[in-house]
Amino acid sequence: MTDPRDRQYTNGEITVFWVPSKCIHATTCFRELIEVFNPGRRPWVNMEGATTRRIIEVVNKCPTQSLVWKYNKDLTEEERKALRDVSKVEETPKTLSGTNAPTSIRIMKDGPIVVEGKFAIIGAENQELKPTSLTSFCRCGSSRNMPYCDGTHRKIGFTDQTPANGE
Amino acid sequence: MENEKTLFQLLPGGPLKVTGPFQIKGPDGKIIDKREPVYLCRCGGSSNKPFCDATHKRIGFSK
Repeated sequence: MTDPRDRQYTNGEITVFWVPSKCIHATTCFRELIEVFNPGRRPWVNMEGATTRRIIEVVNKCPTQSLVWKYNKDLTEEERKALRDVSKVEETPKTLSGTNAPTSIRIMKDGPIVVEGKFAIIGAENQELKPTSLTSFCRCGSSRNMPYCDGTHRKIGFTDQTPANGE
Repeated sequence: MENEKTLFQLLPGGPLKVTGPFQIKGPDGKIIDKREPVYLCRCGGSSNKPFCDATHKRIGFSK
């Protein structure tokens, strides 16, 4: 019944379950909440990245049952046991890589640049950065994890709009 | 068949230079018709977002 690739993540209050086989890469999770759902990172879910309320809000938007959540007090004994097992190796969330589609660059409204496909990132010293098939670049100029997005754009109120006074 | 890789180059204190095959969509989800190279604003200050307009120099962006 349970797929060995399935994972669960907790912040002590709720647990988020991830079922890779049901993921249709709608990308809702990381477009909405890259601080928590970041496919370029391992583990790709960071439950400390946002409030419980916000995590629930985004998990509820998953169009499939790939991401679901539960209050920890409602966990079954089996689920509690799985939480203690941290040794499992994670799968990569499904991305466009492997297809022949050109690399997709999405400018998120008031947010980062989300890149997906077959690409390389060259750093300021001309060195190649860690390879990935999916990442998000900071566009607000204030990330503390440059060149990647860390969600700071929301805190500083970054917007696509050009200031009216131009200065 | 080995496809050509897209290159994302972080220009120091400046934009993200993109070359190679890509498709770019704006915040409204619509495809933006642009040929390579494109320079995407990273400093947050461009008046021509998502593209660079060299504002990074004026505001002293250094990352």
